[in-house]
Amino acid sequence: MHCLVRQTSRFRCWLPAARIHTTVVQQTFWEREKKSGYKTKLPEPSKKEQIIQGFRDLKAEMKLWQQEVKEKLESDPILVFRPGETDVVFDFKAPDVLDKWTVTTDADHGEGKSSATLELSAAGAGLFHGEVSSQHTKDGIIKRTGYANIRTKRVRKSFKRETTYDWTQYNMLILKVRGDGRSYLINLHTEGYFDLMWNDIYHYVLYTRGGPHWQIAKIPFSKFFLSSKGRVQDRQNAIHLNCVTHFGFSVAAKKGMDGPFGLEIDYVGLEYDPSHREEFAYEMYRTPKYIVAT
Amino acid sequence: MMRKLHSLLRLQGGINQTLYRHTAPTISARNYATDEANANADSNNNKNSNAKRESKSLPAIRNPFGAAQEKTKNTYLTMVEIFEERDVHRRNHVEFIYAALRHMPEFGVENDLEVYKALINVMPKGKFIPTNVFQSEFMHYPKQQQCIIDLLEQMEDNGVMPDYEMEAMLLNVFGKKGHPLRKYWRMMYWMPKFKNLSPWPLPDQLPDDTLELARLAVERMCTVDLRSKVNVFETKELKDSLDDTWIVSGMSVEQSKLLKEHSPQKALYIEGPFHIWIRNRRINYFTLRADADTEFLAQLDESQMDEDDVSQIGVPFFGRAPPRRHNQLGKVRSVHQQDDGTIFAICATGTSTKDSLLSWIRLLELHGFAEFGQIPVLFRFKSTVPAKAEEIAGPDQSSDMEALNIHKEHT
Repeated sequence: MHCLVRQTSRFRCWLPAARIHTTVVQQTFWEREKKSGYKTKLPEPSKKEQIIQGFRDLKAEMKLWQQEVKEKLESDPILVFRPGETDVVFDFKAPDVLDKWTVTTDADHGEGKSSATLELSAAGAGLFHGEVSSQHTKDGIIKRTGYANIRTKRVRKSFKRETTYDWTQYNMLILKVRGDGRSYLINLHTEGYFDLMWNDIYHYVLYTRGGPHWQIAKIPFSKFFLSSKGRVQDRQNAIHLNCVTHFGFSVAAKKGMDGPFGLEIDYVGLEYDPSHREEFAYEMYRTPKYIVAT
Repeated sequence: MMRKLHSLLRLQGGINQTLYRHTAPTISARNYATDEANANADSNNNKNSNAKRESKSLPAIRNPFGAAQEKTKNTYLTMVEIFEERDVHRRNHVEFIYAALRHMPEFGVENDLEVYKALINVMPKGKFIPTNVFQSEFMHYPKQQQCIIDLLEQMEDNGVMPDYEMEAMLLNVFGKKGHPLRKYWRMMYWMPKFKNLSPWPLPDQLPDDTLELARLAVERMCTVDLRSKVNVFETKELKDSLDDTWIVSGMSVEQSKLLKEHSPQKALYIEGPFHIWIRNRRINYFTLRADADTEFLAQLDESQMDEDDVSQIGVPFFGRAPPRRHNQLGKVRSVHQQDDGTIFAICATGTSTKDSLLSWIRLLELHGFAEFGQIPVLFRFKSTVPAKAEEIAGPDQSSDMEALNIHKEHT
């Protein structure tokens, strides 16, 4: 027995210390980058190509900037949002709309076998479809899997500066969809500045009726609840609608719902409904000390 | 000691393979949940290994859940009871609970609150309650706490809501500072909020009968129109149908009106199979639709004037004809008249074959829609036609589009 241990310790000397862990390393102190270790390294184009691409983008960016300056000088923002009128934010009938969305599944990082695509349907709307599967490689780290997700790209101002949507005037989310009876998750990302806030997402469920008819879902923003990395948070608050950075849908293969899915989206809009007075749908109990997020 | 050695050896699997192979079975046999067959195989291996002496001192390994003959809730609970009564110390109870959790679906008890309670009851009462600040801060008995957290997580995944008795049990085991309690309180805050959120509620236990499921599915799809009616037909009613099956057909008063007004020059389509999920069951359905009535829809668009256009505001007082009263009552677009087609009916059949759909049309014809005799009906099948459809219709007939004039076939 002892000789065994000695032998192993001899081999240990050339092993890097990082390999000693047999459990998952949980870093709860700080995060290096926004993807939490899921960042795929893409090959960078050469300096020359980057410069050429930069100049190519410059024209469009200048145009965008001109528009921004014009709007600023005009200083004529919409002040009255008429109740009952839907303002469309993501319209799938618009040209090259599919470039604005990113599709991700658990198969992207070899953690599952789901597949998904976003394309235009026969009716001219966006069709998010594919197959979710809860099967995964039993590597001892991943416990459960099976999801597909679409998300808009980060909203930007001119010269690729990051900005946020400002939806403070509205209190309803309007979706015209045609689903398949599954429930989908609506994700409103409010990515913050600090690493703790990088994964802040407000969720709500989109129940779909299924069938050939279109369905208009009207969901108040007050119903959205905060979660981070898939865990509902203890300290909740209503969503800050001027901080929304991304918008997306998720679907999961939970409770044996492995198989094909299809969500046809016509548009995602916003509305101001004066009759809806609720600010936040969940009661806010004071949590006992040192309990939050443990 | 053994555990440490095990982890060290695992790290250097490539280097120390021979050693690893000899020692590993002994250690893995310690796991309560190893299959009986594996355990036997392991003990055979041990005969030739150096580690034979150590295996003698280990307790006998048996996985009662894997070896159970009859997989019912009763046997499951009996095995938990046997474990509880076997000895005072209840050794390996964490491993036992993990094994029990893993085998739940086999026994069909994964949605049963009583079983989860029985598993929590395996934990000794009072032993894991922290008695000072440091113990409560640093997760007293972490393995045991994590085990119950995983149990609660499994409950959450299966949508099983705990009750107050469980709270009392957890308080007795871990005290009010325990992490499982925190998990429990979170569950009790959120789960009741989400439990009945769906606008299309389903029974807790879905029926196993496909006909009942299809009925649920068609009823759900028909909620778009409150005046919808769901009928269940039997193909036995028709004498020349091949399949003997049922057809669940959903149609509203408005749809039947639209169908009666439909021009016989324009074809109807039977499309499908599409699918709808009823919780975790998938039901195929078919639609009877026609192309959108573009003239009618364009007419509606014209009447919608642009309210934002302020360039021409007529003063209604002087020198202007009063607004005409006629044409004010126009046709309203029904919910079934969509931009991509008018939907007349939805159905689900027992076999999802072309013949059963043909029977559907004939049955509709029998039940008040004599117009089907004049209207050409086209079958538009997606490529995912069940194999049985091809078997019945023949391989040459399973093309994408095929005109079937029902009237001609009848006469």
